[in-house]
Amino acid sequence: MGLTGALLPGALLVLWWIASDKGFLAEQILPPPAYVYETARDMIASGELFHHAGVSLRRVVVGFAFGAAAGLSLGVAMGLSRRAEDYLKPLFLAFAQIPTLGWIPLLMLLVGIDEALKFIVIAKGAFVPMVVNTFAGIRGVSPKLIEVGRALKFSDWQTLRLIVLPGAVPSIFTGIRYGLTHSWTSLVGVELLASSEGLGYLLVWGRQMFWLDMVIVAIIVIGLVGFAMDKSLDRTEVLIQRWKREELAA
Amino acid sequence: MKLISLGRFAAGAALALGLLATGARAEEPLVIHVGYAAIGVDNRPYAEGTSAATARAGEYLEKEFANDANIKVEWTFFKGAGPAVNEAFANDQLDFAYQGDLPSLIGRASGLKTKYLLASGARKPLYLAVAKDSGIAKIEDLKGRKVAFQRGTNGHLAAIKVLEAHGLKERDVQVINLDSAGTVAALTSKDIDAAFGDTQLINLAAKGAADVIYTTKGDDPRFGRNAGIVGREAFIEAHPEITQRVVDAFVKAAEWSSDEPNRAALFELWHKSGTPIPIIEEYFSNDKLAYRNSPLIDELLVSQYKEQAEKSKEYGLIRRSVDLEGWFEPKYLNYALQRLNLKSFWQPYGADGKPVNS
Amino acid sequence: MTATTASARLVRFRRGVTLPIVLLIAWEISSRTGLVDPRFLPSLDEVALTAKRELFDNDLIGELGYSLMRNIAGFLIGSVAGVAFATLLALSRIADRLITPTFNGLKQISLLAWIPLISVWFGFGEQAKVVFVALAAFIPIVLNTYEGMRNVPADLIEVGGALRFSWRQRILRIFLPSALPSIATGVHLGLIYSWLATVGAEYFLAVGPGVGGLIIAGRERFDMALVMLGVMILGLVGFFLNRLAYALESHLLRWRPQLG
Repeated sequence: MGLTGALLPGALLVLWWIASDKGFLAEQILPPPAYVYETARDMIASGELFHHAGVSLRRVVVGFAFGAAAGLSLGVAMGLSRRAEDYLKPLFLAFAQIPTLGWIPLLMLLVGIDEALKFIVIAKGAFVPMVVNTFAGIRGVSPKLIEVGRALKFSDWQTLRLIVLPGAVPSIFTGIRYGLTHSWTSLVGVELLASSEGLGYLLVWGRQMFWLDMVIVAIIVIGLVGFAMDKSLDRTEVLIQRWKREELAA
Repeated sequence: MKLISLGRFAAGAALALGLLATGARAEEPLVIHVGYAAIGVDNRPYAEGTSAATARAGEYLEKEFANDANIKVEWTFFKGAGPAVNEAFANDQLDFAYQGDLPSLIGRASGLKTKYLLASGARKPLYLAVAKDSGIAKIEDLKGRKVAFQRGTNGHLAAIKVLEAHGLKERDVQVINLDSAGTVAALTSKDIDAAFGDTQLINLAAKGAADVIYTTKGDDPRFGRNAGIVGREAFIEAHPEITQRVVDAFVKAAEWSSDEPNRAALFELWHKSGTPIPIIEEYFSNDKLAYRNSPLIDELLVSQYKEQAEKSKEYGLIRRSVDLEGWFEPKYLNYALQRLNLKSFWQPYGADGKPVNS
Repeated sequence: MTATTASARLVRFRRGVTLPIVLLIAWEISSRTGLVDPRFLPSLDEVALTAKRELFDNDLIGELGYSLMRNIAGFLIGSVAGVAFATLLALSRIADRLITPTFNGLKQISLLAWIPLISVWFGFGEQAKVVFVALAAFIPIVLNTYEGMRNVPADLIEVGGALRFSWRQRILRIFLPSALPSIATGVHLGLIYSWLATVGAEYFLAVGPGVGGLIIAGRERFDMALVMLGVMILGLVGFFLNRLAYALESHLLRWRPQLG
């Protein structure tokens, strides 16, 4: 963020400060920045903030890993086999139409409100974009390349490993990116509905106790985690592209 | 900030649409917005167990303003209970509300400008129900178990007090934050081990889907929870006469709800909330109607609110001290009692819980 | 040739319906034979009966109408505001340098995390829900419109300069038409997100009529048939919104060459 970019947040912060100091802004609408700062400090000092962030991150990592792996498998299967596509795609599309939030109450009846619920919901968030993008990526691999493989007498496995999957990597990566974003949104959703830990729960807690300072701290942390995930995916993407170029050059 | 301006824009657009739809009217009627920090079974807009619920179901406010074509009364029932009432007060969307002690103290601690006008639903008991086969027989067994209540409501504070009296802290149990309907579902499906609540739990036990193992009823009166009618300061200052009439109507509802011969009719009226009559009977068993439905801001009530404020601070439910000075506004209540000739209708209690001779 | 494509289509259709039919049969058998607790898996006709009850005895159409109204109102407000805001960012260097970094920061906040603040700022009425839905549509539309306008070819902009276009003309004749494919993508995403947000608003903001409320009520009453019905409706609406978006996209883009 350049200096100019920092002007607006800075100005808003000052405005917020003055407005709450002079009482233009009621505390129950937006608490003074000092409260938010104090709350953040206290929650960091007590370890509470890290605890809840840790719980949420763990849920996302586990749920995302399952969802992404399942999505990758289904995407590859449908991408490689027309038969699998014909059988599975209509059902998958029907499944994908339903917003993740819609599944939560149904799953609550089926599996209760424990960790399993969170993992399934988060996995679902990652699953759909993973399937869509893996499938598109594989189908997007140039048939010419595959023919080259045939000419070189590649086995099916070699074709998959050396031609199809590398060709689909950029698209799969898009799937990972969307998948992670959706997982993160789903996490907040499921923690808002049924949880006693996690960042989403901090939102509920703060809302019920009318502690808007805590709500704002939770929002900031949710934003920061989102930001960090985004940035690290950017980095990975650059790395993968560089690696691909080197691979091609070699 | 962008979000706020976007919101304002949306609000403006919605308002413009609304105006277009209704057409410009010469004289806008005054709408009195009344909130209730609970909701009936299956979201019915009714409740039970308080004089405010009587006022709603018996249309006491509507009757009071029946001859004023320009005054309308609008009720809103909140699934989100007391905390949601605070949000609505923060937006000036409510003028009066029935609200429990903890949420109104929380609201006051965070700067909501309200006044406590009269008691309603004070001295309500709290129940503890456990899931079938949970193996929980006494409060001490709750340690480490999944216990549900709705955070930020008066049941929350009362539950902590009960836990504390049995050597447990809030942190010793796994708190699951659920509203009343959510509690019923979770207890039936055994997703939780226990829950604090009231009529919905008695009902569940009557159906055989849970066991009530404890109630504050008959126990130390300090475990009870309080509630009352809270008004928005700006509205009260702008419309003192209307405020007086609103209080009058609530007092009349309290009077009728306190009259023992009305017991059956009262429960029938409250049944509009969807709670079966035998459950309400159980909820009021061994209690005099006049004891539960008294509107008085007596020494007992004031001292209990003070104690709740201290306890809330101590338990970390409120992070700054609440100043109750000037919050109680008995002026309207006293005038209503005088005018309706009810000055000695209800028995006031002292801070020690004993009747005061007046 | 046509015969083979027709038969190929038939094969695809046959394959496509196989799994759903197998699942339906498995569902019916397991709920009839009591293999699965009917509380968790109600029989098909129970779901059908629930649908009939909600349609005729209760006001299912009305509830759906409420949800759709919220969705459409929020989406329209969000998309108009989004396109206008993105145009400002894309065309004004000062606005871009001042505001874009803040916007990029705020967009990282997961949509549902705004719920508590929106609830406190806008209260229990319809307003809060519409604002939330608008916000959901706003973000992807801003991102995509901005992207599209930033990628308008430089020579087109020069042509505008040569023709001494006013700002209004530049926006209407050059930037908006060139950015149309991106805007369409944004609108498409906006439609999907606004539907998600409609459900979220009905879950987490004050109770009111709507399909989301119906699902929550179904869960609370342990009425699996009602929950399933609600979920199916969510899926159907999602499907039609998707279709609508595609239709809109191709319609918008067909006109593009003439405008450009």
